[in-house]
Amino acid sequence: MDDVDIEGLLRTLAPQVLGAVVRRYGHFDLAEDATQEALVAAVAQWPGQGVPDDPRAWLIRVASRRLTDLLRSDQARQRREDTVAAWTIPEERLAAPADQPPSASDDTLVLLFLCCHPALPPASQIALTLRAVGGLSTAEIARAFLVPEATMTRRISRAKQRIRDSRAPFRMPSDDERSGRLDAVLHTLYLIFNEGYASTSGPYLQRTELAAEAIRLTRTVHRLLPDDAEVTGLLALMLLTDARRPARTGPNGELIPMADQDRDRWDAAAIAEGVALVSEALPTGATGPYQVQAAIAALHDEAPSADETDWPQIVALYEVLLRLGDNPMVALNHAAAVGMAKGPAAGLELLEGLASDRRVAEDHRFYAVQAHLQEMAGDPVAARESYDQAARRTTNVPQQRYLHARAARLTGS
Amino acid sequence: MKYMIMLYASQQDYDLMVGNPTDRPAWSPEAVAKMFEFMEQWNNELVESGEFVDGQGLAAPVHTRRIQGRRDGAPVVTDGPYPETQEVLAGYTIVECDSFDRATEIAARVTECPSPSGEPSAEYIDVRPLQSERADPEI
Repeated sequence: MDDVDIEGLLRTLAPQVLGAVVRRYGHFDLAEDATQEALVAAVAQWPGQGVPDDPRAWLIRVASRRLTDLLRSDQARQRREDTVAAWTIPEERLAAPADQPPSASDDTLVLLFLCCHPALPPASQIALTLRAVGGLSTAEIARAFLVPEATMTRRISRAKQRIRDSRAPFRMPSDDERSGRLDAVLHTLYLIFNEGYASTSGPYLQRTELAAEAIRLTRTVHRLLPDDAEVTGLLALMLLTDARRPARTGPNGELIPMADQDRDRWDAAAIAEGVALVSEALPTGATGPYQVQAAIAALHDEAPSADETDWPQIVALYEVLLRLGDNPMVALNHAAAVGMAKGPAAGLELLEGLASDRRVAEDHRFYAVQAHLQEMAGDPVAARESYDQAARRTTNVPQQRYLHARAARLTGS
Repeated sequence: MKYMIMLYASQQDYDLMVGNPTDRPAWSPEAVAKMFEFMEQWNNELVESGEFVDGQGLAAPVHTRRIQGRRDGAPVVTDGPYPETQEVLAGYTIVECDSFDRATEIAARVTECPSPSGEPSAEYIDVRPLQSERADPEI
């Protein structure tokens, strides 16, 4: 087995090992450290000594041993500090009901629910998910988010402390809270994906591949919950969006808008898989926002050219999204789609209504959509001003260059 | 010891880099890509050597807000207080290394960053030690 396979294997086993250790001994926070150390030991030993016959059992054994050491030193410290806090048997140490034998896959889900616990702020949910479920090291996560490693170490240990303090049990959320907790998990995975997808090249650090990691984790959730239409929708949305990535930037890192992308460079296999998932999810009952966004992405991906995009259908889907929740960015995309379907005047009219919404009126995307519609409407002077306004409002260099280039093109005409 | 390496640029430099029209020609896409590549490699080498602590680029100087306290009354906020050509802090990288000389050596490499004109991309770069977080133990 080569190094790449070992890494893949370890990343898949990481949440299962952690789940097994927590289930046996409790102490989520220390068990998480112990599991990381077991992974590090495996990376050091397996390439030379070969992969053990039962790698999962090997990791659980090493992690359990390490946890014992950690607990011992933790207890010693507690004694030294003369804490009066009584030792209580944490709820998670109580045995699971005998009629529900825990499985490794259940553990991965339980871990995800725990890492996306409502007691944690989003940044901590993301960091903890990537470490405890994704099996990434703190250094890798720090690099992905362009923060110093010490900052990420603190963020993760505070997150674990909060989970400990919240006394959240290591088990599936109850039926009545399950849907809300799953929403939180999906939102975290969505944020991880976006962080990876939206990042552009720049003078700073190479970033760990977050979009691929988000897809891998969402695939796992989809495997565990194949009948949940929103999980299916989220996986489809990620695949259909990521499929366009090879065409999204030029050779010098410059941004290329969808209309100008070379569609031959889109990932046909990812599109096929995404479209199949959307078709599978849509008829299965309640329609959620991820399924609708995936359906919109599918319409873009299936259009043979930008001109052949089914804009009326996209408008209809944005209207479904608007009914699902008040989101000014959705309203902005809706206005852009209306401009494409019914002509720029109709789109600009909708934008006027949005101009008083402070959540978007100062956003560079508002001005970029306005510029595009003004350009379509044959008003280069206004369009140019809007492109400049948009460029002034973003701090991302490739985006600024794109917007200024659009403005410059209009000056020439 | 930790040191901050400070890079400077004027609003005009930013405009050239992002293609905002000025009386001088903007950077080509290739020139921007080369600069990004150089700086990314410079930063990544510091990560590999374990000397990297933190690094950030600042948005254009025009986005600066200056707050001036006043003896009587509320502080006054001014948007974009710098002249177009004034060189101001544009980005920083904090390194942790063995000596001031090593930090200087790291900083000096930035002068090799490719620029469209072929001139050194920055007129100067500053390196400054960070204040120590702890006092020496008493002996």
